[in-house]
Amino acid sequence: MSPTRNIQANNRLAFASMAGERQTPLGLIGSVLLHAGIIGATLFTFAHKLDIAQESAPVVPVELVTIANKTNLIATVKAPPKAEPTDEEPTPPQVQKLDTPPQSEPKPEKLDVAPETKPEPPPPEVAPEPSPKQPPPLPKVKPAPASEAKADAPKKEEFDINKITALLDKRDAVQASSPKGKVADKAVKGFGPQTAMTMDLQDSLRSQIQQCWNPPVGAPHPEELVVEFELFLKPDGSVAQPPQLSGESESDASHDSFTRAAAEAARRAIYTCAPYKLPRDRYGQWQDITLTFDPRQMVGQ
Amino acid sequence: MRRFGFLGAAVFTLLAAIAWPAWAALHVDVTQGNIQPMPIAIPDFIGGAQGAQIAGVVRADLDRSGLFRTLDQKSFVEQIRDINTPPQFNNWRVINAQALVTGQAVAQPDGRLRADFRLWDVYGEQQMLGLSFATTPENWRRIAHMIADKIYERVTGEKGYFDTRIVFIAESGPAMKRVKRLAVMDEDGANPIFLTNGSYLVLTPRFNPTAQMIAYMSYAGGRPRVYLFDLESGRQEMLGNFPNMTFSPRFSPDGNKVVMTLESRGNSDIYAMDLRTRAVNRLTSDPAIDTGASYSPDGTQIAFESDRGGSQQVYAMNADGSNVHRISFGGGKNGTPVWSPRGDMIAFTKQANGAFRIGVMRTDGSGERIITHGWEDEGPTWAPNGRVLMFTRTERGGRGSSIWSVDVTGRNERRVPSPGSGSDPAWSPLIQ
Repeated sequence: MSPTRNIQANNRLAFASMAGERQTPLGLIGSVLLHAGIIGATLFTFAHKLDIAQESAPVVPVELVTIANKTNLIATVKAPPKAEPTDEEPTPPQVQKLDTPPQSEPKPEKLDVAPETKPEPPPPEVAPEPSPKQPPPLPKVKPAPASEAKADAPKKEEFDINKITALLDKRDAVQASSPKGKVADKAVKGFGPQTAMTMDLQDSLRSQIQQCWNPPVGAPHPEELVVEFELFLKPDGSVAQPPQLSGESESDASHDSFTRAAAEAARRAIYTCAPYKLPRDRYGQWQDITLTFDPRQMVGQ
Repeated sequence: MRRFGFLGAAVFTLLAAIAWPAWAALHVDVTQGNIQPMPIAIPDFIGGAQGAQIAGVVRADLDRSGLFRTLDQKSFVEQIRDINTPPQFNNWRVINAQALVTGQAVAQPDGRLRADFRLWDVYGEQQMLGLSFATTPENWRRIAHMIADKIYERVTGEKGYFDTRIVFIAESGPAMKRVKRLAVMDEDGANPIFLTNGSYLVLTPRFNPTAQMIAYMSYAGGRPRVYLFDLESGRQEMLGNFPNMTFSPRFSPDGNKVVMTLESRGNSDIYAMDLRTRAVNRLTSDPAIDTGASYSPDGTQIAFESDRGGSQQVYAMNADGSNVHRISFGGGKNGTPVWSPRGDMIAFTKQANGAFRIGVMRTDGSGERIITHGWEDEGPTWAPNGRVLMFTRTERGGRGSSIWSVDVTGRNERRVPSPGSGSDPAWSPLIQ
């Protein structure tokens, strides 16, 4: 388990494999040892990961921090008394509050969306980001400017200064309202965008898409018609490229007419409700979205 | 050293796999939707009056289904001039159309009518379907229904039901001297035809699986008996020669049998007659009233109503009469069970709280839902896709009855246009 033992195992493995070149039985042993070595290597990797986690904070607290941030953002008034990792349960009510505003304007901008569906260079007037970057990198640049990673991540600063400053502003606001949400949070930085406060984004997006989703309730087995889409958005909230089915839905849709219909209904919902109203300064958190459309709760209505 | 290379690769892969979730996308589960008709643009087909007529019927069909909302042609920005070139999708997004149907009607040299259409996904910017039909010009309505069926099927995933017919009892005259005639019409109420002249009472007509034969009960010979009516030849025949009254007929899914009720000295029981051998097989022998038999689509089971337990309830049994068990437990009296063509549900009439309503339940009696809310709704019949039901509605204060349709979800209740008053509808299978 320990690193040293693993190294020993690897050495043994090397010898075994050399022996294996001479004799087949030894080759077999070598193979077995190789496998053992690989497993050992896995453990090693894992242990290493955990070590890192221990240095800063356990994994779970990270998420709690997430929620705390979100809470502060919305319900500024409540915040003061709470400590850093505040595990606030008032999450649901916030959800609802968030829901309302975005609902208001799904449609007017459809016209704009339309042209953008095709891969074209001249997209958003929005940010000073270099336009060429946007279409291709969106999918891949997931290690994007995570909001919490503000301090380090120098590349990203160059990437988009506005974003960072916006984030800084937000932080200040948060801190002002709840003076205790401080340093401990920062220790979490290495973890990536999804560890940040995303529940409000999820709720916002969900409430926007629900307006446009016509679920397949009349189909014979609606419970089997759960479809999953991978969606990339542009900073202005419009659809960056045609959403793709992911997971099992992809193969299901190819040979089942009901799944295909369900998938198409979901895709129509994605397009119809675009552009999505999401906080631009947190684009890194919502540029890449996995959407699951699950009609089960709608059955029987 | 090469091994180390492999090892390194393995470690790297594993690392990547472990690290991956850290960069995963934002996950959003959408579990609530907004059930609404899908906006679809169907401009008149190219081809003059005929093209406009066909498009009109397609629009009416899809609108009636409640799953589509056809857009007003006045709002259209683009005029379709050639159905073989893709439309400018922007022009259709502007008016919020999610799908577009373009089509043309062409008179062919041989005098036949050909109708081509394409269904476009406006947001996906691609063709979803493109088909061509040819027939004699008189059949243009059927072509339109078939086009509507194809669009419906492509968008919803299940077969349509527009190219179907309804057999029903057309009623006319004063309540005391009601004239009831056997009649058929298209699913949209067009082309009504009377099959009997009204000089005798007719009831409970049912189509066979090819929609060419109708079984019904008639007082033609003075006594109520089950008859068969062949739509092609117009020939009628009494089904079997029983000493007493026979009623409530229904075909088996393969069309080879008719199941019906025979009354004898106040006791009604269910019998099945093989139409090829004319052999009759008794299925129930309870002293209570057993009637209203309906086969499951696979032909292995029969649902029926019986008051053997004290009140009228829905029961099911094997097709040979074994394994009788009650399935309706939702309260009130329950009768006229009809097995869904999909096989997943049974529709029935519930009598409770002084009203008759149409309900559906799973075939084991669970999941009961009442889907109509009239004062007297009864006698459900399924569309061939198991998605829509028709039934007879009698208004309070009784000025005759009319035929209504409703989605199996309880939505989209609407009156089916029929000549005069109508009752006792039975939906045909999809016409072959």
